[in-house]
Amino acid sequence: MNNDELQTDSIRSKYTDKQPHSGLYRLNIIHLYPDLLNLYGDRGNIQCMRMRCKWRGIDANVIECSLDDHPELAVADIVLLGGGSDREQQIVCTRLQKIRRDLRDYVEDGGSLLAICGGYQLLGHYYDTADGRMEGLSLVDLYTEQGSPRLISNIVLRNESLPDFLPCEIVGFENHGGRTYIGSNKPFGKVLYGHGNNGKDACEGVLYRNVIGTYLHGPLLPKNPHVCDLLLQRALYRKYGVSLTDFPALDDSLEREANRAVVTRFHSPLAP
Amino acid sequence: MRLRTLLAVAAAKAALTACHLSGRPGSSLPGRAALKIDPHIIAPLAADIRRGIIVTCGTNGKTTTNNLLCSMLEAQGYRVVSNRLGANMLEGVAAAFATSAKRPLGYLFAKGPLGYLVDAKRPLGYLDADFACLEIDEASAARVLQDLRPDYMILTGLFRDQLDRYGEIDLTMKALEKAILEAPEMTLIINGDDPLTAYLAKNSAHRVVSFGVSERVANEVDEIREARFCENCGAPLRYDFYHFSQLGVYRCPSCGFCRPEIDYDASGVRLSPQLSFDVKEPGTAPVKISAPMTGFYNVYNILAVFSVLRQMNLPTDKFNEVLRSFRPQFGRGEVFHVGANGGQRVLLNLAKNPAGFGQNISAMLQDRSPKDLIIVINDNAQDGRDVSWLWDVDFDRLADETIRSITVSGLRAPDMQLRLKYVEIESDRAPDVESAIDRLLAAGCENLYVLVNYTALYEAHRYLEGMQK
Repeated sequence: MNNDELQTDSIRSKYTDKQPHSGLYRLNIIHLYPDLLNLYGDRGNIQCMRMRCKWRGIDANVIECSLDDHPELAVADIVLLGGGSDREQQIVCTRLQKIRRDLRDYVEDGGSLLAICGGYQLLGHYYDTADGRMEGLSLVDLYTEQGSPRLISNIVLRNESLPDFLPCEIVGFENHGGRTYIGSNKPFGKVLYGHGNNGKDACEGVLYRNVIGTYLHGPLLPKNPHVCDLLLQRALYRKYGVSLTDFPALDDSLEREANRAVVTRFHSPLAP
Repeated sequence: MRLRTLLAVAAAKAALTACHLSGRPGSSLPGRAALKIDPHIIAPLAADIRRGIIVTCGTNGKTTTNNLLCSMLEAQGYRVVSNRLGANMLEGVAAAFATSAKRPLGYLFAKGPLGYLVDAKRPLGYLDADFACLEIDEASAARVLQDLRPDYMILTGLFRDQLDRYGEIDLTMKALEKAILEAPEMTLIINGDDPLTAYLAKNSAHRVVSFGVSERVANEVDEIREARFCENCGAPLRYDFYHFSQLGVYRCPSCGFCRPEIDYDASGVRLSPQLSFDVKEPGTAPVKISAPMTGFYNVYNILAVFSVLRQMNLPTDKFNEVLRSFRPQFGRGEVFHVGANGGQRVLLNLAKNPAGFGQNISAMLQDRSPKDLIIVINDNAQDGRDVSWLWDVDFDRLADETIRSITVSGLRAPDMQLRLKYVEIESDRAPDVESAIDRLLAAGCENLYVLVNYTALYEAHRYLEGMQK
């Protein structure tokens, strides 16, 4: 090899060695039922949180909770509830009812919860399908009904209402049969491109306390580092009273580029 | 032959000529033209097949299995109709049949106008072939099987694939279930190591033959598995061991659903320097098989072909000979020798879903010589618009001392680079696959791996083929 561009000692060099605060801060991230709810690269969300903690010297302790485990929500700082197929969701749904009260206490206490797709639907009162009603957790005042066709698309959102959000669009991929109605709750974002909650009201997802519910896969966090940082920020503040800005800033040029690529391709602000 | 079928065949032939003139393979468009005129053109042409129709379904391994089967049958002197280029939806199957049919005018001349009128029955479509071997897309299978009555259906295995097109894998299962019901008389030849496929077969009333690997071969890798839970009752499956993804030796402790008795069982599997194993079949002596291929998944592809040949009572005496000369086509582990005296080796492989990508990485890491890697990810309709599956691939395994560099390209290059960043692996970007290949070869790379998803395959293949000439 004589090409300078390719002459790296190792393909692992650039991203390692960034742990200034090692050992001081530790976040417990509970991943609920990854053995069932792991559709569409959702574990990328865990990987994103894990690495963005690591690069700042924050210790990310990921606890994978399987169906037989009892999640210790009292020590949780961030909880991730992913999506699964309808069949898998039904299995989870029954199990979740047993920890419903713990989850509600966690949410009402300001705990961070990210619920994706099927997990998002489970936050509400119910999901009505052709095969009957799936009872939800009633953590957030919303409900879902099965619709046709499936809403499948790249999706671009904008959220200007959150103060700690960077002024940046949220991008992802949606693939859901359910139509979700969030009543008077705030949406996660306004739909610039794609379908959103129900294809009608131009809203996507829900925000309630420190809960984010959304249909966005992609997975959500890697191409939306500002959303990842929002979760980390809230968790750090709740646990230690510190702000993410106390930590060294990360180089997010690649993340931003991947985000912009989706925005400009599917929603050009210059388009009529 | 019905006039409609005649016209449809003529239209397909004309479309094929037009495709060839414009430099395209014409694997689909002629079928579309034919179907416009005769929506059921497949049925009369399929009725002319003399000895058997074999279809191959499953998310991974269709093209290699189908092409290998064609080569085996041709080596025995049979005439075979197939969709070797991998055009596996309704149009592709129609194109395979219609473009292989005799020219309508030739047919008229052969029979004479009077003969044509008298001979209203046979041959229906005037297709001169002993076998039809067709790979069929899972979502198209039910529709194709309305017109095509196969004798055998090979099910290679079911993995998470293009979720935006098929929805969840449950929907792929339902589509296949429907297709299987369309042809109640066919025999299913299944990958018994896959609980999803085994469940499909168990739930049907069809005759089932299975192939598999009952001994542990390689260390399992922790990756996304589709069927951790029993399809039958929902309880967690117990595994003695995994081969890869959800393939392995499994049983349900709750309802008793289990891996079927394996009819064609591979043992003594060696993956390098090339594949070799013995196939045991009840009541016969083991057969030694060796193939100049790598990758565990190819054991299944070979086993599937072996099983169907044995089931049809066809000779397998030339099996190893055909394997030796079998050239994987169209980027299914296809090797190119380029540069001065062909001293630079380039391996092109399709990697379109997590299971396929994982297997590609395993095969690549078995090659312990230094290498450079190009990954191209597109998100056109055929690729699947949703690229979130990239996060279901264990890319951390690429942090291996034999991999000198990784270059990323394609419509979703930023996504791919970001994916690598989150396992702390650096990569370069190239505007397209051609310049990526050029750059690495100019830098003296002697061992280059190019892993691409569907629509990038044609571009990469054409370019490498051109370089080799």
